[in-house]
Amino acid sequence: MWKTNLKVLAVALAVIGFYTLIAHAIPQLESEVPESLDLGANLTPEALVAAGERVYNGAGGCTACHGLGTRAPNLITDHAGQGSIGARCGSREPGKDCKAYLWESLTEPGKFTVPGFANIMPDMRRQLPEDQLWAVLAYLQSQGGEVTVTAEDVGFAGSAASAAAAPARSATTDPRQLLTENACLGCHAIDGQGPPIGPSFDGIGRRITAERIRRAILDPNADTAQGFAQFAGTMPQTFGQQLSAAQLESLVTFLAGRR
Amino acid sequence: MPEPFLLQAAADTAGAYGQFPAIGGRAAVWIAAEVHLMFAAFVLGVPMFAVITELIGIVGKDTKYDKLSKEFTRLLVFAYSATALWGGLLLFLITTLYPRFWSHMAGIFHLSMWIYAGLFFVESFTLYLYYYGWDRWHAGRAKWGHWGLGLLLNVWGTIVMFIANGWLTYMMSPPAGVTAETLPSEVHLWNALANATWMPINIHRLIANAVFGGSIVAAYAAYRFLSAKTDEERAHYDWMGYVGNFIAISTFIVLPFAGYYLGREIYEYNQQMGITMMGGFMSWLWIVQAVLIGVLFLAANYYLWIGMGRIPGAERFMPYTRWMLLLLVVCWIVWGTPHTMIATRQEQAAMGGAHHPFLNMLGVMSAKNTAVNLMILTTFLSFLMYRRANKRPVVTWARTGTIVQATIFALAAGVVLFYGVYGYFVEAIVRIGFSVYQVLAVLFCILSVTVIDVFLGRKAESRGAIRWGEMPERSQYALFVLAVTFTWLMGLMGFARSGIRQHWHVWEVMRDTSQYAATPALGYAANMISTCVLIFLSLVAFIFWLGGLAERAIQKAAPATARRA
Repeated sequence: MWKTNLKVLAVALAVIGFYTLIAHAIPQLESEVPESLDLGANLTPEALVAAGERVYNGAGGCTACHGLGTRAPNLITDHAGQGSIGARCGSREPGKDCKAYLWESLTEPGKFTVPGFANIMPDMRRQLPEDQLWAVLAYLQSQGGEVTVTAEDVGFAGSAASAAAAPARSATTDPRQLLTENACLGCHAIDGQGPPIGPSFDGIGRRITAERIRRAILDPNADTAQGFAQFAGTMPQTFGQQLSAAQLESLVTFLAGRR
Repeated sequence: MPEPFLLQAAADTAGAYGQFPAIGGRAAVWIAAEVHLMFAAFVLGVPMFAVITELIGIVGKDTKYDKLSKEFTRLLVFAYSATALWGGLLLFLITTLYPRFWSHMAGIFHLSMWIYAGLFFVESFTLYLYYYGWDRWHAGRAKWGHWGLGLLLNVWGTIVMFIANGWLTYMMSPPAGVTAETLPSEVHLWNALANATWMPINIHRLIANAVFGGSIVAAYAAYRFLSAKTDEERAHYDWMGYVGNFIAISTFIVLPFAGYYLGREIYEYNQQMGITMMGGFMSWLWIVQAVLIGVLFLAANYYLWIGMGRIPGAERFMPYTRWMLLLLVVCWIVWGTPHTMIATRQEQAAMGGAHHPFLNMLGVMSAKNTAVNLMILTTFLSFLMYRRANKRPVVTWARTGTIVQATIFALAAGVVLFYGVYGYFVEAIVRIGFSVYQVLAVLFCILSVTVIDVFLGRKAESRGAIRWGEMPERSQYALFVLAVTFTWLMGLMGFARSGIRQHWHVWEVMRDTSQYAATPALGYAANMISTCVLIFLSLVAFIFWLGGLAERAIQKAAPATARRA
């Protein structure tokens, strides 16, 4: 009798354990909770873009549809040869500039549906507070376009950042730390490690000059490296504001030296 | 460390949430709700087929079915109190750990809560009358009256479930007019109950309860089979296990269609919610579900194929089983292929795009729908072979009938394959419609072939009686695998249904501002599901053991009473 009981118990535990293991083996994705923005006196375009990127990839849930390009247009990479969203948003709807078009897309998405897609987007005001919507909008503009969101838009008029009031940005000039802090390694490989979304940093000094490297950081859309056309427009255009001159030169020197 | 510009909201949570030691409030409510739900599913599912088997016994004048029905009901009596206990615990946990949320729900649903409690009383007493009146009202009109009690038991149980479903579906899909500013007293009770996902959940749960009840009963019978002392006992529990499994699998085959209906209503209500469920952070959940369902199909077919070993004449079908196994495994692999998954930039770069270059072809819905429909057809074929094994049809049109059946099978498989392949060459919106043709072909095959088989088997010669009880022990473990898998699947689907609300107590009406607002990843959810399954199965084992004790006491008392008489 006890033998039977133990066998039954073993079968039950093995089955339960098997399913638990499978569930642990797959990618672990957690649904994020929208965070409140505390932009306060730090309302720089870079801060907005960075906050918007987090909302876009996290709590906003935008990537569920816009990340694949099947349910909704892909916003971060090219769509139908028109470039990424920052490049194409100003010419989507006649009479609407980029900011007006994106705001309408977020708050009254039914007014204009991109041909070839269904009207499935909800009014995001029910999901996210307005300051987060503006942050997302700034992030989308930064994808191949110019960020035009202002403090007045966000509702923090008068609190526009002064450099003195803004929280101190990292002062490091260590190039490797800068690469990590600025999320460069999210797209560029180094030491043979990392994703090939942008050109590898290994041997970059052999391929292009220091001047080209500097331009690629400050104005990433000026040139597109061979073989990476499909990711054109992905790199943020905000490093000119994000990095101090010393940091920029440290990075350029470091990368140019990687032969 | 948080970004300097992003801080967690200083939400006013004072008084909104209570604390629970060690595991936290969410885990405590999760366990209480899930275990309560498992017991509730059992006590709602079993009466459905208790009443059906009793009816078969009455109409066919076969006491074997009546005995089976009574045995089902005996399990209910013990399971009922466990359901109520866990329900009470859940209530206390919600009121103490989520008082603000409870206040919102009670403000809207208080009247239905009183009705619910009242019906629970009525349902309990109907069950006691049904079970304890079994021997007293065992013949003639009284027997029909007794059967009416069983029917009534199902009616009360269904209403109770519908009310509770109204509460939980309100949390998923509150009426459009209800916003964060709406006072609970302003919400019309009926509108809140009869929300967009209420009826789809009702139907889904009705079917799922029958599946679940059948599988637990089959596991009970398997255990009794393994511990049986006599051949008679073994034969009885072998038969009971077969009936339980038959109910579970035959109703399970219908369940995906109810699931499609629920999914469609979720999309209709809110596209974003639907996409979160199928293609958002929950997209990997469906791969785990595919693994479980694959196990269910394999275990169910394995049980039937082994069972054919005790049926004279089944040898002629056995060579086909290896090909059926191959088909099931291939279909399982296709169904479990990931496709539209949330991927990081690095993962997308590694794949060379949003989808895998090769698996992309197998993971699309065309391939998956084809795979699952072929699995259903294969399982139905196993049932048919099992049914036909010891029969030799004598009707004049027997050969023609068999050819027609085979043709229907081939046509159904052809339709499924055709639309599966054709789906690759059309737009997504057209492709989605193809699944309807595939499902209709399979349903038509199941219904028409069954009807033909019933007439074909009339007055059929027997190749020999089924040798009930002569089952290898390993077949019974397949029944345990089925029961554990169904239970785990229930926990997983519960997580899917509840998790798609994400950080909302009530979707877009009441936010979850507790420390547990983020919906956890599948690994954590799996730990919780496994914990709930272990608690449930341990308690069920204890309840069944109690049932066995009571049965032995009755058996001992019966001869003594007879001697005194």
